[in-house]
Amino acid sequence: MSGLLFILFAGLAIGSAIAMVAQRNPLYSAISLIGVFIALASIYVTLAAPFIAAVQVIVYAGAIMVLVIFVIMLLNVEQEERRPRRLRFLVPAAIGMAAILIAETAFILYSVHAAGAKLPGPTSDVGLTHSIGVNLFTAYLLPFEITSVLLLMAIVGAMSLARQTNLLSSTARVVPGAQVLAMDIVKRRGKEDLTAIETETTDEAAHLMGVDFQSDPEKRE
Amino acid sequence: MDLSNPYIHAGLIIVAITIAFLTIMLLVAATVLAERRVLAFMQGRVGPNRVGYGGVLQPFADFIKTMMKEDLVPDQSTRFVFLLAPMIAVVTAIMAIIVYPFGPTITLPFLNWTFPLVIARFDVALLYVLGVTSVGVYGIALAGWSSNNKYSLLGGLRSAAQMISYELALGLSLIGVVLLSGTLDIYSIVEQQSGWYGSRWNIIYQPLSFILYLIAAIAETNRVPFDLPEAETELVAGFHTEYSSIKFLLFFNAEYINMITVSMLATTLFLGGWNVPFAEYLFGRGTLLFGIVCVLGFFAKILFFLFLYIWLRGTLPRFRFDQLMDFGWKFLMPVAILNIILTATVVFVMGSQ
Repeated sequence: MSGLLFILFAGLAIGSAIAMVAQRNPLYSAISLIGVFIALASIYVTLAAPFIAAVQVIVYAGAIMVLVIFVIMLLNVEQEERRPRRLRFLVPAAIGMAAILIAETAFILYSVHAAGAKLPGPTSDVGLTHSIGVNLFTAYLLPFEITSVLLLMAIVGAMSLARQTNLLSSTARVVPGAQVLAMDIVKRRGKEDLTAIETETTDEAAHLMGVDFQSDPEKRE
Repeated sequence: MDLSNPYIHAGLIIVAITIAFLTIMLLVAATVLAERRVLAFMQGRVGPNRVGYGGVLQPFADFIKTMMKEDLVPDQSTRFVFLLAPMIAVVTAIMAIIVYPFGPTITLPFLNWTFPLVIARFDVALLYVLGVTSVGVYGIALAGWSSNNKYSLLGGLRSAAQMISYELALGLSLIGVVLLSGTLDIYSIVEQQSGWYGSRWNIIYQPLSFILYLIAAIAETNRVPFDLPEAETELVAGFHTEYSSIKFLLFFNAEYINMITVSMLATTLFLGGWNVPFAEYLFGRGTLLFGIVCVLGFFAKILFFLFLYIWLRGTLPRFRFDQLMDFGWKFLMPVAILNIILTATVVFVMGSQ
């Protein structure tokens, strides 16, 4: 019974993975990737790891892929065009890598078989929430904490990148003396504070708006 | 008959799923009718009262009428995704019901069969519910995208943003209860609340968490005052503008099933699930009568939440989208985290129950 389920879900995972790579439409690729995640979660359940399965669905299928689909919908990404293949020389390398991967898998299978190790049965409690929690907060506390600091850094980094005041694009030209900047762009106070300030040159305007711009090509680095 | 035989066990589970499915579907029909009648009462109208006694057959008449409509697929739509979206919505909505215990473990008289009134009981039941709910976003988001209609797309985008934002607050608000009970198994969480003659409900310990959950749950189900994905004054009908006939019906059902499952989660986690105060004393633990009383109590609590939903719809105006986002991220999230810190401190000092 569990063998049958494994074949079903493994087939689903592999099929979805192939579909993900082969699809030209990015949204179809994203949907196929969700299929892969859900099939993998089902395999985790049959391997007596329900916690990993639930987390897989919540984090990957439920959170990350929603964001991916959100971005695809927001940008309205068109179907990818067929371009001339510039990276054709990588095909032999890919075949070689695949061969190494298959050989590794075969070696692992062989060595497990040869060692005669017994897999934990479906009644094992290794994959249950309690044992995972105990291990995370005792034996693996340091890696766990480091990971959380890493995630925090990623969040702070994303915030600081998004917060940069790039109001003018690098190709924008401002007519000197003509532009009037709203005060709240320069000094962020209230939305109602719209005191106009006058600038003489593009550089001055760019400087006030916090944009890294230099009109004189010789002064550019 | 040996109930531990795997084939008999599988058969019993299929029977249980069928019963639960039919119950939920009837509850959906009842909620649709109740919503129309109660709203009409609140707005000084009469509401549907012609089909059957007091209008009880109105949902079934509507069902037949909607089924008979032409099943349209827009010409420029992405056909496969367009057909897939309502299925995802309704399947993920109904998958959650298997973990909710409708009643306690009972023993049938004469036959001496003992079984719990729950379909599936496993270690990560609460995470399963959250996972299934989070996959449900795709139904709405993909429907909005595949319709190739600007109103649908806006509705889909809004709902995706809204559900991601409020899922966080929803999940964080549940952690207080998990910290107290020390398990993710919903059946065990309900059993732990049967102290004090069946009135040791988690809401006594976690009132803040309960309020946060209730708000986030209303936003998760896209109901008033958080119904921006289908704001009819702005977006026609939002993500299901292009859907007709049975596909519209699936979305409609999914919304009401979501309401019911969210109410079930609120009941099981905060209001003691099937626990009815003093029922154990009056009828004795594990008897059939006790089971019936508990199931009725469980459904009474669900109906209370459904009434609350309708009541809110009759009372509150809709949020603006930036208000919605500010409220979710800048109010609900910090308060939920504060609640977690408080609960964790108390549990650490007092020791878990």
